[in-house]
Amino acid sequence: MSNRGIRNLFIFGSLFFFAIFVALTVDTMKKVDKRVPEITEEVDAGKKLWHKYDCIGCHTILGNGSYFAPDLTKITVNKPEGYLEKFLVNPRKVKPSAAMPVLGITPDEAKKLVAFLDWVSKVDTNGWPPKPVLAKYSMPQVPGVTVYEKYNCKACHMISGVGGTSGPDLTHVASRRSDPEWHKQHIRDPQSVVPDSAMPPFPQMSEEELNQLVDYLITLK
Amino acid sequence: MKYESQKIAQNFYTFAVVLFLVQVLVGIIAALQFIWPDFFPLKFNIIRDLHINALVVWLLMGLMGATYYVVPEESQSELWSIPLAKFQFWATVVAITAVVLGYIWMGFDPQANKYIAGTLLLNEGREYIEAPRWADWLIALSVILFLINNFMTMYKSKRWTGIQGTLLGGLTFLALMYLPGMFYTKSMVKDQYWWWWVIHLWVEGAWEVIAGALLAFMLMKVTNVERHVVERWMYVEVALVLFTGILGTGHHYYWIGTPEYWLWVGGIFSALEPIPLLVMVWDAFRTTRTHRVVSNRLGLFYATSHAIFNFVGAGLWGVIHTLPQVNKWTHGTQITTAHGHLAFYGAYVLLVMSMIYITLPLIRGAENFNTSRGYRSFWWMTISMIFIVLTLTGAGMVQTYMERLVGLDYVTVKANYNLWFWIFRAIFGLGFLYGVTLFVIDFFKLGREPVEAVATEPSETTV
Ligand code: HEM
Ligand SMILES: [Fe+2]
Repeated sequence: MSNRGIRNLFIFGSLFFFAIFVALTVDTMKKVDKRVPEITEEVDAGKKLWHKYDCIGCHTILGNGSYFAPDLTKITVNKPEGYLEKFLVNPRKVKPSAAMPVLGITPDEAKKLVAFLDWVSKVDTNGWPPKPVLAKYSMPQVPGVTVYEKYNCKACHMISGVGGTSGPDLTHVASRRSDPEWHKQHIRDPQSVVPDSAMPPFPQMSEEELNQLVDYLITLK
Repeated sequence: MKYESQKIAQNFYTFAVVLFLVQVLVGIIAALQFIWPDFFPLKFNIIRDLHINALVVWLLMGLMGATYYVVPEESQSELWSIPLAKFQFWATVVAITAVVLGYIWMGFDPQANKYIAGTLLLNEGREYIEAPRWADWLIALSVILFLINNFMTMYKSKRWTGIQGTLLGGLTFLALMYLPGMFYTKSMVKDQYWWWWVIHLWVEGAWEVIAGALLAFMLMKVTNVERHVVERWMYVEVALVLFTGILGTGHHYYWIGTPEYWLWVGGIFSALEPIPLLVMVWDAFRTTRTHRVVSNRLGLFYATSHAIFNFVGAGLWGVIHTLPQVNKWTHGTQITTAHGHLAFYGAYVLLVMSMIYITLPLIRGAENFNTSRGYRSFWWMTISMIFIVLTLTGAGMVQTYMERLVGLDYVTVKANYNLWFWIFRAIFGLGFLYGVTLFVIDFFKLGREPVEAVATEPSETTV
C-alpha cells in the first residue's frame, strides 16, 4: 500500500472507531440513570462539597482517584447512625487513630456529603468491589463465629484486620473484658454498661446464640 | 537548526525542566507522607495535586517546545508569528503559577476554595484536571493560539509532511479532548465517564499519536533513514493506537455504574493496545540497525529507550490488569499506581527528554556536546524508576491479596503489611531525584561548557 493509502486508512479508520465510541456513549448516557438512585438536591449539594474539599486528592471513589486513603464507594453501608457525620467534622474525635485532617466541614455539610456517599453506595457497579472470597478461611470454625457473621458485627468491628472501623477493634477484647456476664449484658443492651455507646442493642438474638457468641469473644485474648 | 524561530522551543523546555524538578521534589514529600502522614504542613491531597499537575503541565510544555522545533523544520519556513508564540508561552507561565499558588493557599485554608458563580475558585476537586475553570479557559486559549501558530506556518509554506500533519492532528485531538472535562454533571457516574474521555483519550490516544510522530521525526533526524519509510511505519503505529485505544477507554467503564457491555468492549480493545507500542520498539531497532550513520548517539539512545519503556510501562504494566477478570480485584490498588508511574515515565518523560537531547544541541549550535552526564542521568532515573515500580507492584499485590481477597481493612494493610514498600519507594525516589538533578544541570550547561570537558567522552565508546 502507498503511504497515502495507509494515511487514509489511519484517518478514516480512526473516525470510524470514534463514531462507534460516540454511539456507545449515547447509549450509555441513556442507560446510566436507571442504574443509580434519584439525585436529590441534597445529593447534588454533597457532590459539590466532595469537589470543594478535594476528597479525591486522598481517596478513591468507584475505584478511581488517589490511593492514599480508603475507597469510599461503599463507606455508608452498615455504619451506625450519625457516625460518619461526626467523623467528617472532626475525625480524630471519633476515631483517635484517624489520619484524616480537620477540613472545616460543618455538621450541615457533613450531612450533605453523607447523602452523596450514600447515593454512590447504591450505584449498580457490576458487582464491584467483589466480596473477599478468602475471608472465611481467616476465622476459626466455631459456632460463635457463625453468630458473629449472622448479626454482621464485622460491619463495625474488626478482628485480626478484617472488619469495619467504626466500633472498637475486638482482636484482643478478652484481655480488656474477660467477664462473660459483662458481654452478655453489653450485647443485649450496650447503653446499660457503656452509657454513651453508639452500638445498637441486639434483643432479637436467641439465648443460645448469645452464649455461643460470648464463648467465642472470651477466646480473643 | 535552520530557522531562527525554532529557538522559541528553548523557553518551553526550560519551564518544563524546572517543573520536572518540582514534580519530583513534591513526589518525595508525598512518598514520605505514606510513612508519616503529618510531617509536612501541606496535606497529602495538595502535595499530590502538585505532583500530578506539574507532571501533566511540564510534559505539555515539553511537547509544545518540541512542536515549535519540528514545524518550521518540516515546513521549511520560519514560524508564522514569534510574538504570538512568546505571548502564548508567558500567558501559560502566568496561568500555571497562579494555579499553583491557589493550591498552596487552599492547603493552608481549605475554606478558601469557594464556589463563585457555580465554579470553584482554586481547585475543581477532580483528579488530574484540578485546575479551576477560569484556568481551564486560559489553558485552552493558550493551546488554541499555539495550534493556530503552527497551522498557519504549515498553511503558508504549503509543505505538508506526514510527520507534521500527524503531530498537529494529535495536538488538535489533545486540545479537543480537554473539553469533556469542562462541564459539571450531577451524576458521579457521568462525571467519571466524561473525565475518562480526558484522561484516557489523552494518554492512550492523542499523546501516543504525538509520540508516534515525534519518534518518526527523531529517527529521521539522527539517522539517514528515508522519510517515506519512517512515515509509513508511523502511520501504521498511530492507526493501531487509535483503532485499539479509542474503544479501549472501556477498560475504565467496568465498575463505575456504566452498562455491562463495556466489560467486553473495554476488555477486548484495551488488550490489543500494546501492539502498536511493540511496533514502535521494532521500528526504533530496525532503523538503528539498518542505518549506521548516527549523528547524535545520546539522542538516539534516549529515543530508543522511550520506545522500549513506553511498551513496558504502558503496554505490559497496562495489559496485566486490563482484563475485567483481573481488574475486578486490582482496580483502585497500588497496581494502578505502579502502572501509572512506569507508563508516564517511559512513554512521555523519556519522549520529551529525547526530543530535548536531539534538538537542544542544534538550537545551541553544539553538535558535539559532552554526553556523559546525559547517560548518567538516564541510568540513575531509569534504574530508580524500575525499583519504584517494583516496590509499588509488590505493595499492590499484597494489597490485592490482603484487602480484596482476605477482606482486611485498607488502613491495616497500608500501615502494617505495606510499610516496607513505602520505605523502599521513598529511598528509590531519592535516587530518581539525583538523576533528575543531573539532567537539569545538564540541560542548563549543554553546549555552554568549556571545550576540554567536551573532548573526553568516556560513555560515548561504551554504547
Ligand atoms: C502511555 C500510555 C499510558 C499512560 C501514561 C497511562 C497512565 C495511567 C494512569 C496514570 C492511570 C491511573 C489513573 C487514575 O489515577 O485513576 C492508568 C490506569 C489504567 N491504565 Fe493506563 N496508561 C497508559 C497506557 C495504558 C495501556 C496501553 C493500558 C492497557 C493495555 C492501560 C491500562 C490501564 C488500566 C486497566 C487502568 C485502570 C487501573 C484501575 O483499574 O485502577 N494503560 N493509566
Ligand atoms: Fe486507559
